[in-house]
Amino acid sequence: MTEAANIPTPGASMAWWEFDMSAVRALIEALPAEEPIERELAEQLIAGIRVHDVNAVAAYLVGPFGGRDAMVGESVGRFWPTESQAVLAELLVALVNDQPEHRPRSHGITSLMLSDAGMTVRLKPDVTDIVEVTVRGIIHDHRSRWSLRASEERYQRLIQHLPYALVQVDATPMDPVFAALRRDGVTDIASYLAANPALVQQARKIVSVTGANRDAVKLFAAPDTEALIGPIGYLFAASPTTPHRLTIAHFEGRRSYSELMKLQRFDGEVRDVQLSATFPTAPERLDVTLLSFEDVTDRLSTETQLRRLQADHARAARISTLGELATSIAHEVNQPLSAIVTNAETSLRWLSRDDPNLPKIEQLTRRIADSAHRAHEIVQRIRAMAVRHAPERLPVDINEVIDEALLFTRHDIDSRSITLLVEREPCLPLLGDKVQLQQVIVNLLLNSIQAIAQAGPKGRIELRTRADGHEAFVISIRDNGPGIAPENLDRVFEGFFTTKDDGIGIGLAICQSLIIAHGGSITASNHSDGGALFQFSLPAAAET
Amino acid sequence: MSDTPIIAIVDDDEAMREALLDLLDVAGFSARAFDGADAFLAEYVATPFDLLVTDIRMPGIDGIELQTRLRALGSSIPVIFVTSASDAPTLARAREGGAFAYLTKPISDECLLHQIHAALGRDDD
Repeated sequence: MTEAANIPTPGASMAWWEFDMSAVRALIEALPAEEPIERELAEQLIAGIRVHDVNAVAAYLVGPFGGRDAMVGESVGRFWPTESQAVLAELLVALVNDQPEHRPRSHGITSLMLSDAGMTVRLKPDVTDIVEVTVRGIIHDHRSRWSLRASEERYQRLIQHLPYALVQVDATPMDPVFAALRRDGVTDIASYLAANPALVQQARKIVSVTGANRDAVKLFAAPDTEALIGPIGYLFAASPTTPHRLTIAHFEGRRSYSELMKLQRFDGEVRDVQLSATFPTAPERLDVTLLSFEDVTDRLSTETQLRRLQADHARAARISTLGELATSIAHEVNQPLSAIVTNAETSLRWLSRDDPNLPKIEQLTRRIADSAHRAHEIVQRIRAMAVRHAPERLPVDINEVIDEALLFTRHDIDSRSITLLVEREPCLPLLGDKVQLQQVIVNLLLNSIQAIAQAGPKGRIELRTRADGHEAFVISIRDNGPGIAPENLDRVFEGFFTTKDDGIGIGLAICQSLIIAHGGSITASNHSDGGALFQFSLPAAAET
Repeated sequence: MSDTPIIAIVDDDEAMREALLDLLDVAGFSARAFDGADAFLAEYVATPFDLLVTDIRMPGIDGIELQTRLRALGSSIPVIFVTSASDAPTLARAREGGAFAYLTKPISDECLLHQIHAALGRDDD
């Protein structure tokens, strides 16, 4: 018979045993029949019985690794499930002491492995001291007790040694609370908790930690596992709103919940952890909710660094693009400029002669004027280049554009601890080019950020959108930098006008070109309370 | 070397070519201008130029490449670069190729004429 054939399939089954009673006969005969037997005595009695034989089902259900061969000759007490030892002992005493008939006896038993279980004991005819025991029942779990126990041990070992801090929580005290809420018709738990915050406070007290693994002890800097056992409140000392969200997830019957939270260790240090909660569902043990905490403090700081590097890189790329642009602009403008200089100097040479060649000087002067015009054309072309394509005309939500522009500048704003205030009115959609409008806002924000950097700490930028009747809306960006010198107010939108050491002065010129291309207008002024104020208005899309 | 040296000007920018021609003219030199290296090389075989004043950044063969080709042809004609490019690597390439002088635009007339006189082995007059 192969091993596989020994494995009983789920369903009705019968385990069969032969007990060798010789060692306990005297003990049994000293006991009164049909009387309850104390547990200790029952255990002692069963421990004295030897296994004479077993069938495959019995060996499989309660046997050790090695099956029947490892059972024969051993004490029955080693294998017989604790929960039915007392019943077995009583049946055996009744059977043996029932002189002279020795009628077979049967009784239902409680079993963790069988349902509708019952057993029958009878003396084997013609053989001394051998009792036949049969156990019938329906196997609902095809795993043997040995494999279940091994599985449980494996599970515990796994939990203990997992490289995550794991905490086992008994959340069942919340079940009657939730049941009551459902009876009262509560379905929107979030709203309910908002109105009844006491429920979460209650959960923090009645839901308890019942176990924790090694890494949890380490993460919390706790002296031992015992220190972690108790109401869950302490888990969320540095993250007081987490239990609120956990309660919602639990009530809604979600399988799991995860969030980034702060965890306060027993030594007071606060760490960033990724919390993952797994709520149990039948047939799992309902009193085991697992919470895992992954310490991500170092990873987060690496990510922050990485983000900073990326921002630096983006800024470097921006500068190098502008640098390249500046170089090619310089080259372009330098050509006519060189001709102007040489022509002017040649003219001076002619003029210094006794016989100046006036027609030549006139020609040179004309060339000087031509080259100067050419230089001007180049500058015009650069400005036009900034509006390289005709702007797209698609419906745009300006508030969405602002959100994206803020994303681009978020790092620059945050890293300088600039306070950003955004106030918006719902604005009508406009027809425009999202990317170009984004460029305008990014440019204006960067301008403000740089102006503030010159002014010192406590920077503040206010960005507002305001509907201007039905026709247009106005976006204003105000900073608390040094503002614009009055003599420069008229010139800020001129190409190549800059007050920055490293600026080439095309940012605002481009902004103006883009806004004009959108049919809008842009103005620069100084706010009465200080700082520069840039405002642009754009026409709203005609209603269709 | 003849009494009236012939100077070649190579620049893709017309305004600059004309300006240089007029400057050299008023300074008493005889010069011819070309809008690119190819045009100059086509003429070079026939005309014994005494000096080359050339731009660097040009379409097709650039000024430094032109100098290299001339040296490869066995020419020792002095080369004065007049260019907007003032970066160190370009300057180094020009020197390595045996440039006589390297002037950045916009040039000073005095400076150019001084270098031309020096290149032609004349004293400044």
